[in-house]
Amino acid sequence: MVDDSGSEQPNMIEFIHVNKRYGDFNALVDINAHVRKGEVVVVCGPSGSGKSTLIRTVNRLEEIQSGTLMFDGQNVHAKMTSKTLNRLRSRIGFVFQSFNLFPHMSALDNVMLSPVRLRGLSVAEAHDKAMLLLDRVGLTSKAKSYPAQLSGGQQQRVAIARALAMEPPAMLFDEPTSALDPEMVGEVLAVMRSLASEGMTMMCVTHEMAFAREVADRVWFMDAGSILSTADPRSFFSNPEHPRAKRFLADLRAR
Amino acid sequence: MLVQIYDIVRDDWLLLLIGQYPNGPLGGIAATLLLSVLGISLAFPLSVLVALARISPWLILRAPATALVYTMRGVPLLMIIFWGYFLVPLLIGKVVPGFVTMVCALVVYEAAFLSEIVRAGIQALPAGQADAARALGHSHLGAMRYVILPQALYNMMPSILSQFVSTIKETTLGYVINVPELTFAANQINNRLLTKPFEVFFLLAVIYFVVCWSLTQLANWLERSIAAKRAGKGRTSEAVSNGTPLVAEP
Amino acid sequence: MQGFDVTAILLNSQLAGMLADGFLVTLIIATGSWLLAMSLGILLLMIRLMPSRIANHAVRAYVSYHSNVPTLVQLILWYFGISSLLPSTLQEWLSEHHAEATFAIIGLGLCQAAYFSEDLRSGLRSIAAGQEEAARALGHGYVGTMRYVMLPQAFRNALPALVNHTVSLFKNSTLAMAIGVAELTHAVKEVENQSFRTFETFLIATLVYLACSLLLMGIGAWLGHRARPVGAR
Repeated sequence: MVDDSGSEQPNMIEFIHVNKRYGDFNALVDINAHVRKGEVVVVCGPSGSGKSTLIRTVNRLEEIQSGTLMFDGQNVHAKMTSKTLNRLRSRIGFVFQSFNLFPHMSALDNVMLSPVRLRGLSVAEAHDKAMLLLDRVGLTSKAKSYPAQLSGGQQQRVAIARALAMEPPAMLFDEPTSALDPEMVGEVLAVMRSLASEGMTMMCVTHEMAFAREVADRVWFMDAGSILSTADPRSFFSNPEHPRAKRFLADLRAR
Repeated sequence: MLVQIYDIVRDDWLLLLIGQYPNGPLGGIAATLLLSVLGISLAFPLSVLVALARISPWLILRAPATALVYTMRGVPLLMIIFWGYFLVPLLIGKVVPGFVTMVCALVVYEAAFLSEIVRAGIQALPAGQADAARALGHSHLGAMRYVILPQALYNMMPSILSQFVSTIKETTLGYVINVPELTFAANQINNRLLTKPFEVFFLLAVIYFVVCWSLTQLANWLERSIAAKRAGKGRTSEAVSNGTPLVAEP
Repeated sequence: MQGFDVTAILLNSQLAGMLADGFLVTLIIATGSWLLAMSLGILLLMIRLMPSRIANHAVRAYVSYHSNVPTLVQLILWYFGISSLLPSTLQEWLSEHHAEATFAIIGLGLCQAAYFSEDLRSGLRSIAAGQEEAARALGHGYVGTMRYVMLPQAFRNALPALVNHTVSLFKNSTLAMAIGVAELTHAVKEVENQSFRTFETFLIATLVYLACSLLLMGIGAWLGHRARPVGAR
């Protein structure tokens, strides 16, 4: 969480006039926003608003047609060799809605794979680090289990540990709890909450409004490809400026 | 080279097409197709019986059917043909032409493979079909005959057509026991010409390719149109597609 | 008619020796062509995955040819046809060095490579969406993603089809007989001619083939069991 009164932290993620199209459809329209170091930003909005597309442009899983996207001082969408892009991606932690754990490896191997193969850690070092991370997400007992033997919530927590294993300066979450049964949402949000309290820079696309209210420093509301407001959670939830934001919150409360 | 292939076609197209008929048995492409059609059509009813036996609850039916299928899957067709060569005259009591041996071997071999296709087709149907049939009062065999098999066989048509293509390819083994099919005819041409083996056998490959490829394309088209029909049926009910109103207008 | 007596074949060292030699040749042909087919199949898959349209069409044409032309015709084309196109020095060298077996292995191997590459391609396509993305998001390059995430899963998914085609390959070794290779079925004919004990000879060979095929299927099943993560929900 950022200390409001303190000095401005540098921008970790910065969107400058970012535009993205799918053929004729404008997925992202003139996005200008930033996430400071240590900030937690929640991106919300009705479905089809472009939230997932937005977060996927940060590690270039989606391309942009115009504008600049900076991550920790590096231009993500500049022309670069695949080697450079891979190295950049390894510095951005990404957690998917469908977890995407590798089914042919145990939880421990899932977490260990990338530090060993990409960072050159020895197997012993990677093993110790991985066990620490699994402990952090509360799953040491499941280290040797395979994804098929884990519940959805457990799989997502392993996925978070896997992303953290690369020691990224920022973590991106693309609807991390949307595919989970309700009773497992809490365990994943708890991990995310603890990450935030330790000062991790986070950008989360989520529908979990309670989480946003408690943990986020800013809430970006998106609709039809544009960011319509970037207020702090208190103002956003009690008195949203934009009429569409008002309608979105009303629909949510009506559920 | 192309000119030489054209010459071969021009000179021997009749041999390739129908063998030495009427001065000998039917041969060439005609024999190949006849073997394949006979093989598959005679194998088909047998394969349905074998498939039903394999899923029947009685071991006395299941065991021999399963043994047959695994044997045909595990033993080369050439070996089966040799068995046929040996057993068929014994069983019938007189010498038979290679053509008949070939058909018998193909029928037994294909029946095993076809039965796996039929079995898969039956088991792929939703369980509700059999339940509904039994609930209406049909016997097990009745349910099979009127409800399960018609649907399963319709769905399995592309696979059956693929198996027909395999059968065409398997007829080439007749060459080893001097059955006058297409490969045998090509060999005769080569033995006569002696100087153009590549052209002759390349032509042979091309002929098989054209026949098999066309049938495979047909099978693919069938599979696509069956899948489309299946998807379509889920969206409109029978009554609507027949034009009769479901509910009377108020 | 002599009575049924398997031992007349099995205990006769000459006849049994002929069958054993034939079986050995069958194993050599089958193993050689399998190794060729598997390595070429993987190579074909890699080529097919390249973004070039020419590469794509080339592999598709290769697969189409080898799956539509009967295997026996392919072998005949190799042994009688293509060999006649080779320079005469090479032809002479080959005829002294097991030309028949060489062409059999080449022909069978190239044919099955087409099937193996298609099996692996299906195996690759049936991997859950998002796996490749997850590997890329972690920062793995193309090679790393293929090596650690995609190919292991592709092989696991393709295992039943690969096993089936391996059994086909083994059975197809008999086709080598048509181009003069002295494999098991050829030996069976020889032994039968010499001993007149058709039924016994055929039975022995059939049981040998069946045993090998069932063994291959059994190995396949065991591998499949091992590859499946324990206790899948």
